[in-house]
Amino acid sequence: MALIFGWPLLRYAWLSGHADSVLTGLVPVANGGANWLRLLSDQRFWVDALQTARFGVVSVGIELILAMAIALLLDQRWRGRGAVRALTLMPWALPTTMMALGWRWIFNTPYGPIEQLAGSLGAGPLNLLSAPSLTWLVTVLADVWKTTPFIALILLAGLQTIPDDLYGAFRLEGGTSVQALRRITLPLLTPYILLSLLFRLAQAFGVFDLIQVLTGGGPAGSTESLALYAYLNAMRFLDFGYSATVMLGGFVLLMALIGLGALILRLSGLIRPLQT
Amino acid sequence: MRRHSAWIVLLLIWSLAPMLWQLLTSFTTSAALVDGSIPFLQRWTLNHYRELLSSNPPFWRYLANSSMLAAMSTVLTTLLAIPAAYALTKIPKQWRQPVRFVVIAAALFPYVLLFLALLELARQFHLGNSLLALALPYSALQMPLALLLLTAAIEGLPVDLDDAARLEGLSLRQRLRWVMLPLIAPATASTAILVFLFAWNEYPIALTWLSRSDLLTLPVAMARIAGSSIYSVPYGAYAAATVLGAIPLLVLVLLFQRQIVRGLTNGAIKG
Amino acid sequence: MRNALRCLVAVLSTVFVLAGFAWSSGNRLTPVPVSILMPAPFADASKELVNRFNREHQGKIELTINRGPLETESISDLAISSLLLGDAPFDALMMDVTWLPKYVAAGWLEPLDRWFDSSDSEQLVQGARLGNRFENHLYRWPLVADVGVLYWRTDLMDVPPSTPDQLRSVALNLVQSSRVANGFVWQGRQYEGLSCDFVEVLHGFGGAWMSADQASTTLDTPAAKKAAAWLDSLIRDGASPRAVTNYAETESLQAFKAGDAAMMRNWPYAWAELQKPDSAVRGKVGITLMPAEQGEKPAATLGSWGISLLRESPHPEETVEAIRFLTSETSQRERFLDYGYTPTAEALFTDPELLAVSSALPDVRRALNHAVPRPPTPIYAQLSDVLQRQLNGLFTSGGSATETMDEAQIRSETLIRSAGGMA
Repeated sequence: MALIFGWPLLRYAWLSGHADSVLTGLVPVANGGANWLRLLSDQRFWVDALQTARFGVVSVGIELILAMAIALLLDQRWRGRGAVRALTLMPWALPTTMMALGWRWIFNTPYGPIEQLAGSLGAGPLNLLSAPSLTWLVTVLADVWKTTPFIALILLAGLQTIPDDLYGAFRLEGGTSVQALRRITLPLLTPYILLSLLFRLAQAFGVFDLIQVLTGGGPAGSTESLALYAYLNAMRFLDFGYSATVMLGGFVLLMALIGLGALILRLSGLIRPLQT
Repeated sequence: MRRHSAWIVLLLIWSLAPMLWQLLTSFTTSAALVDGSIPFLQRWTLNHYRELLSSNPPFWRYLANSSMLAAMSTVLTTLLAIPAAYALTKIPKQWRQPVRFVVIAAALFPYVLLFLALLELARQFHLGNSLLALALPYSALQMPLALLLLTAAIEGLPVDLDDAARLEGLSLRQRLRWVMLPLIAPATASTAILVFLFAWNEYPIALTWLSRSDLLTLPVAMARIAGSSIYSVPYGAYAAATVLGAIPLLVLVLLFQRQIVRGLTNGAIKG
Repeated sequence: MRNALRCLVAVLSTVFVLAGFAWSSGNRLTPVPVSILMPAPFADASKELVNRFNREHQGKIELTINRGPLETESISDLAISSLLLGDAPFDALMMDVTWLPKYVAAGWLEPLDRWFDSSDSEQLVQGARLGNRFENHLYRWPLVADVGVLYWRTDLMDVPPSTPDQLRSVALNLVQSSRVANGFVWQGRQYEGLSCDFVEVLHGFGGAWMSADQASTTLDTPAAKKAAAWLDSLIRDGASPRAVTNYAETESLQAFKAGDAAMMRNWPYAWAELQKPDSAVRGKVGITLMPAEQGEKPAATLGSWGISLLRESPHPEETVEAIRFLTSETSQRERFLDYGYTPTAEALFTDPELLAVSSALPDVRRALNHAVPRPPTPIYAQLSDVLQRQLNGLFTSGGSATETMDEAQIRSETLIRSAGGMA
C-alpha cells in the first residue's frame, strides 16, 4: 500500500523538479522550479482546474439532493423495496466507460433520442456534444446518473440508524413532516452527508474515464479535466515532468478546496454534530 | 403507500431508461438507427451480437479477461486484507487513530492521479500486458477500503471471544481460521464484491498497463471502440456490447445487493 | 478461504501452462512475422495488398496489419501507450506528418537511410518529399500525399479567387445577392484543422508560424495579425457563416456538398465525395490553391501519412520490404483506383488511367508543389493547442486580432522555453 500510494507521490514530487520529456530524450534532467513556474502561467491548467471544480461541485451538489430524495423514498416500508433498491444500484455497478459511450449515442446529434425529442418539440438541433456551453452539463448528467445510487445508499444507511420513536415523539408535539426533516433527519444525517460529500468530491476531482470516453475533453477543451490534462501531457505530449507537476498541482488544489469547505462548514457550525 | 408509487416509477425510469435504450439499440439494424422512416417490423436484427462474437478477438475474450482479473484481484485483496485488518485491531490505542486516518485518506484518494508512476513501475519491472500483474495494483488500490470494512467488522465482534479462544489454547492461526473467519464472513463477502466491482470497472490503469488487444479488459475494449471518430462509432454493435457486458453485473448486483448495501453502510458508519 | 486459495493456484497454473504453449508455438513459425499498425481505413484499404504480399513471400515473411482506431489522435495514443510499456506488439507504424519529430526525439524510430536513397526520393511528387526527415535522417516513407486545397463552385464563378480580398468580396457578393446560402466554409473549431487552415492563410499573407531555425515562433508579425484579422473578418462580415467556428472537415463538407456554400477549404479526399450521385454540386466543383496576397506564394498545408520503422523491431529488413511493397507505385495505383487515396509518385499524376478517374489530379499536384509543413518540432501538439485556443477565442468571444496574436506569441514563447522543462 505504501508502495502504491506513497511512492507515486514522492516520484511526482521528484519528477516535477525535472525535465523529463521528448526534448530530453525521455531522460530526467533537473530543472529547478521551471515546471512549477510553467504551471502558474499555464492558461490551460487553470481553465481545466476551474472546469474540474465546476464539474465536481455541480454534480456532487445535484447528486446529494437527488440521493437524499431517493434515500428517503427507500427508507419507507413498501413492497418490492429490495428489488427496486437493487435495480437503482445498477447504474453504479456498470463500468463508466461502458455507459459513457451509451450516453454518446443517446445525446448524438441528430439520431439520439434526446435530439429527436427536442426536434419534435421544435427546439431544433441542440448539438449537445459539440456546444461548449452545453456539453459539460451532459458530463454532469452522466456522472449524476452513475453515482447518485452510491450516495443514496450511504444516506440510507444513515437514515436507518435514526430510531422511529424520535419521529413519533416529534409528531406528538405537533411537528409537520417537513419540520421533522429539518430538525431531526438532517442534523442526524450530517456525518453521512459530509462523508459522501468528501468522498465524492475527491472522486469527482479525479474524473477521467467519463470525460475521456464521452467527450475526449472537447468540444474546444470545454470539458477537459485536470486528470485528463495530466494524462495528455504524459501520453500524448510525452512530457512526464510536467504531467507529474500537473497532478501534484491538482492535488494541492483539491486539498485547498477540501480545507476551504471544512472551514466554511466549521464556521457555519454544521460540523459540530460530527465531533459529538 | 400509494402516494409513493409515482416516485418509485420515476426512480426506476431514471435508473433504467438509459440501459433500456441501449438494449433497444442493440437489436435495431444499423440502417434503422439513422432512419426513422423504416417500418417497425424491419427495424430489428441480431446482427450486432453476431458481429460482436465473431470479431477478432471475439467479445467474450474481454469478458473472460475482466472476469479473470477481477477474480484474481478479489482473492488477492481478501487474502491480504483479513490478516492485516486483524493486526490493525490489535495495535496500541494511541496509534489506532492516526493509522485509521491514513487508511481513510488513502481510500478517498483519487487514484487516477497514480497512473503515471504505476506505468513507470510496469515498465521497470516488465509488468505490462499481464493480467496477473495488473491484479497487484488493483489489490493495493482497494486495500484501504477493504481494511476499513474488515476492521469495522472485527471491532464489532465481542472482545471476550478472542480471549476465550486464546484460553482454549488455540493458536493465532487457528483463532483466525475457526473463530474470526466465520464471524466476519458477511463483511468479507461485502468486501469481495466491492473489490470485484472495482476491478471489473477500472479503466485508467488497465488503459496504460495493457496494449495487446487480446488482453484488454472490458472497459478498455469499450473505450477503444469509442476511440474511433464520433461520426463512425458503430453504435448498434456497441450497444450490444453494453448489454453483454452488463449482464454479469446485473446478475452480481441482484444476487449480492444485500451484501453490497451492508458493506457500504458498515464502512460508512465506522468511517 | 481454502477454496479461494485453490482457485488462485488453479488460475495461476493455467496461466503458466497457457503462456508455455504460446511460447513454444511461437518458436515453431518459420516465416518472419511483420506487423504494422494502421488507422482502420488504411488497414481496410490494404487488405488485398497484404494478401498479395504474403503470397509472394510465402514461407519467408508473414505480414499482418493491426487495425487501429480511426481517429488520428486515438491511434497515436494507442501507439504511444504500447511504446511506453516497452514491448510494442508491432514492427512499423503508420505516422501522421506532425508526430514524426516527437517520436524521433523519444528515440522510438529507426532511420530508413540505409534502405531508401535519393533516387527513391526523386520519384516522389514535391509535396510527398516533405515531412519525412528529422535531424538529417529519413524516418518515414510516405504512403499517401495530402495537402489542403480550396474547392470552388464552377457554376457560381468563372475563375476562383486568388487573393484574400478577392475571396472575401466574391463570397460576400454571392451571399448578399442570395445566390448561395454561405460564402466560404472552412474549419474554425478549436482543433488541429484550424491550425492547418491558419497555416495556409498565414503563408498567403507572407508570414510563417516559426522562424527558419525553428527556435522561436513568429505569430506576432504583421503578416500573422493580418491573417488572423482576415479570418475574423470573414465571420464578422458574413462571408463565412458564424457556424464555421464549430466546423471541422465533416461539417464543411456537408454544407458544401449540399450546395450551401460557394467555396470550401478541405483535403483532396473531399473530391470523390463531391462527385457521388447524392452530391448537389456534382460536376460543378473546381480545385485550386488557397489565396495569397499579390506577390506572395500560395500555400497548402502538408497532411499525409507514411510508415515508420520502430527501433525495437527484431526484423528491420523484412519490415522494410513490406514498407516498400505497400508504398510501391503499383500499390499506390491500386489504392487510388479502389479507394481514392492520393498517390505519392510523380509519374502517377500524369497517368491516363488515373486521370480518367479523377480530373482533379493535376490541381492536387499543383497544390502538392506548394506544400508547407507545420512546424516540425517535438512539442508541435502543444504549440498548435495554443494557437487553436487563441484563434477560436478570437472568433467566438471577440477581441482584436492584434491582441490575440500577441498573446499567442507570448504563450508560445513561454511554452518553448518551459515545455519539456528546459529552463
